[in-house]
Amino acid sequence: MTADPGTLAALALLLPAASFLLLAVAFPLRRSGRAAGLVSVLCSAGALAAALGAWARQTPEGMTRIVYEWIPQEAGSLATVGVLADADSTIMLVLVALVSFLVQVYSLGYLDAEPRPALGRYYTYQSLFAFSMMGVVLAPGFLQLFIFWELVGLCSYLLIGYWYERPEAARAAVKAFWITKAGDVGLLIGIVLLWYRAGTFDFLEIYDLVRAGQLSVAGLGLVTFCLYLGAMGKSAQFPLHVWLPDAMEGPTPVSALIHAATMVTAGVYLLRRTIWLFALTPDVLQLIGWIGAFTALLAAVLACVQSDIKRVLAYSTVSQLGYMMTAMGAGFAAAGFLHLLTHGVFKALLFLGAGAVIHAVGSNDIYHMGGLRRAMPQTHIVFVVGTLSLAGIPLFGGFYSKEEILGAVWSGGLVWPFWMLVLAAFLTAFYMFRVVFIAFWGERHAGGHGAAHGHEGGHLHDAPAVMSVPLWILAALSVGIGIYFVRHHGEPEFTAPGWLTPLAVGVAVGGIVLAWLTYQARVVSADDLARAFAPIRRAALARFWLDDFFEGLYRGVLLGLSRLAGWVDRYLVDGLVNVFSAWTLTWGDRLRRIQSGLPQDYVYGLAVGLLLLLIWVQWPR
Amino acid sequence: MSLEPIAFGALSVVLVGSALAVVLTKNLFHSVLWLALTLTGTAGIFLTLDAEFLAAIQLLLYAGGVVTIAVFAIVVTERLVGDRITQTSRQLTNGFVIAAAVLVGVLSFVLRAPQSGPRPPIADDLTRAIGESVLTRFVLPFELLGLLFLAALLGAIYFARPDD
Amino acid sequence: MPTSMPLQAYLVLAAVLFAIGLFGVVTRRNTIGILLGIELMLNSVNINLVAFARFAGDTAGLVFTVFTISITVAEVALGLALVILIFRVRRTAVADHLDLLQG
Repeated sequence: MTADPGTLAALALLLPAASFLLLAVAFPLRRSGRAAGLVSVLCSAGALAAALGAWARQTPEGMTRIVYEWIPQEAGSLATVGVLADADSTIMLVLVALVSFLVQVYSLGYLDAEPRPALGRYYTYQSLFAFSMMGVVLAPGFLQLFIFWELVGLCSYLLIGYWYERPEAARAAVKAFWITKAGDVGLLIGIVLLWYRAGTFDFLEIYDLVRAGQLSVAGLGLVTFCLYLGAMGKSAQFPLHVWLPDAMEGPTPVSALIHAATMVTAGVYLLRRTIWLFALTPDVLQLIGWIGAFTALLAAVLACVQSDIKRVLAYSTVSQLGYMMTAMGAGFAAAGFLHLLTHGVFKALLFLGAGAVIHAVGSNDIYHMGGLRRAMPQTHIVFVVGTLSLAGIPLFGGFYSKEEILGAVWSGGLVWPFWMLVLAAFLTAFYMFRVVFIAFWGERHAGGHGAAHGHEGGHLHDAPAVMSVPLWILAALSVGIGIYFVRHHGEPEFTAPGWLTPLAVGVAVGGIVLAWLTYQARVVSADDLARAFAPIRRAALARFWLDDFFEGLYRGVLLGLSRLAGWVDRYLVDGLVNVFSAWTLTWGDRLRRIQSGLPQDYVYGLAVGLLLLLIWVQWPR
Repeated sequence: MSLEPIAFGALSVVLVGSALAVVLTKNLFHSVLWLALTLTGTAGIFLTLDAEFLAAIQLLLYAGGVVTIAVFAIVVTERLVGDRITQTSRQLTNGFVIAAAVLVGVLSFVLRAPQSGPRPPIADDLTRAIGESVLTRFVLPFELLGLLFLAALLGAIYFARPDD
Repeated sequence: MPTSMPLQAYLVLAAVLFAIGLFGVVTRRNTIGILLGIELMLNSVNINLVAFARFAGDTAGLVFTVFTISITVAEVALGLALVILIFRVRRTAVADHLDLLQG
């Protein structure tokens, strides 16, 4: 077996598939719980090793393409499957494999109280998810991308609704599925339209067409917009972002994996993969940029009023996804992709850290926590590392990617989005440190242990090794990426203005200071702040009424449509059939009278037939 | 003026008139008698067409045989002596319309055809020619005709059996 | 007036007789009356056949007429026999009463 990146990537892809098949078929293995977990973890480790190998062997310009014909056609094949390993896909593969592996290890500790068959089911879904996400990453063409895209959505549904006996979880899973499906319809339409124009699904072939100028630009905006809709759904852009906060009903490791690092980044990844196509339609790119910036700001505002720690992180994810999309919209996909990678690491870290806290306290509410800095020092340190990275403080990975994005957006000429992003950066630092100060600092709040998610009471100690080691690994990575960028600051594709770095740092520090003043030092009253921004606060607590809007839309449009369809069926379709049957009966009755039994009447018939024959024969032609 | 058109004209008048009488007379027996006249007129038409043998057959079989059978049937089914044998007609207008329509249809067809040429010369002995045709070219229908008569005879005997 | 009648004259005559016969068939109430109408129609057909035979110079038409006449005679005989039988059973020869085939 040759050790080229493509083969290793294929191996990374197939190991989780093998794990899934094994666990799906051999149900005694699955029902045994921990054994299933070990199988899945082992395959995940193997996939990680293969992904690292593929990445290590990958050169920045090189590309390996392994493609098998799936649906044949006269000239070439209609659809192919395979892997496309280049610089982007291998690094993304590493991210997916790494976070997947760490989460699976972490889950062994987090879900230790689960009944065994349920745990087996969990790991089956995890394996399937890893396979699907890697399929998206390695897809050489739109068709395979779409198939695995849908599979990823399915896994999201399965994993969000893992505790399906809880009605909120079931509802959240369905909501996630519905909303992303709405975007996926757009994606499908876009893929079909693109195929209609280009004649192929393959990325490389379309890229060649674009470079040779053979793809007509007229009307291409519709195609790219439809493709963007798919990204909008999966990557939670406004207005299709409403599923992500609800998706927190799933277990925290699932949130860390799917709703921080991998599935929601599929949209950004798609854009990165096809940015050369979007470059042909600058209007759509502008739109993407604006929507991205607006999403970033909106989600940041919403995060400021949340009291559920996971919800804060969920809105934070939406906000950061908005950042990535804005960079894509500005035309500098590399900056957005870099932020995807760093964000994947520190957001997963934050979620897993939150999971450790939830596991210990037994509740998601930050007002039920407090003073955890003393009770759980390790978790506190890694959480603060993640928060600093998210807020954009130098030396941490998040700072560099955020600065890149701000520079890219400024250079791309999107001025208003730029200032929206800056304000969002301020708010990001503010709300994240709000969480830190309320949950980790200060005193223990009353109303401590709620019975949430099936965990009994609080055992306030640091997380066990199986949970804390992944945390330390991710924390080390966050810092390590930061230091890497200090050493190897590559040439950016744009020139950032000189005042950008001080602005970014200043904004972040300002947010931290405000949070400290409000929640720690109590110099600024939180209530005064709430009163000052009362209308926004009220709107934010009602989630800007978007959920109600969607519900109303569903009720109105969908149910109205079904009522209309019912009416049409009852009165038009049935009516038509009834009319036909009534006609048949009436005319049958009337025609019956021809059979009078009298032969002379039959002679009439003969005579009429003869006349008709004569007319027909003589009819002028 | 030659004889033929006059003869044809006279025969036509007789034919059409007696045919109308057949269908319009209320008395059934009179209808049969008018039919006899029609059939005789037809024999005359055959003569103008130089088909003497057929005229003879027409007179023998039709005017002789058929009329006789019809009279017998009337005698058996109606009471000749005593009440008048009448019959009324039904739906006269409908019948007239249909008949007129058929007439118009056929005439439109016939009159559109181009004028025919003169009659071709015929063999002297048409009877002999007919006989030869029957026994050579049409021998199969001839035999089948015999079969038909046998069947008709058997049927008539069966019909005529006394009620058991 | 031409020296001999053209074919159309005979065809027109036959058509008129046919129409009259048809009229008789559909209007007569008595079954025997209907049979008389049928006779007229068959008669007109014979005139047609003989005229065509004469103008085509082919004896086939004449032979066909001989056959037609023979068959007509047989048909009349049997038809009237049927009428007599019905009369015996139903005591009526009026066609309106013979409507057992009514649908």
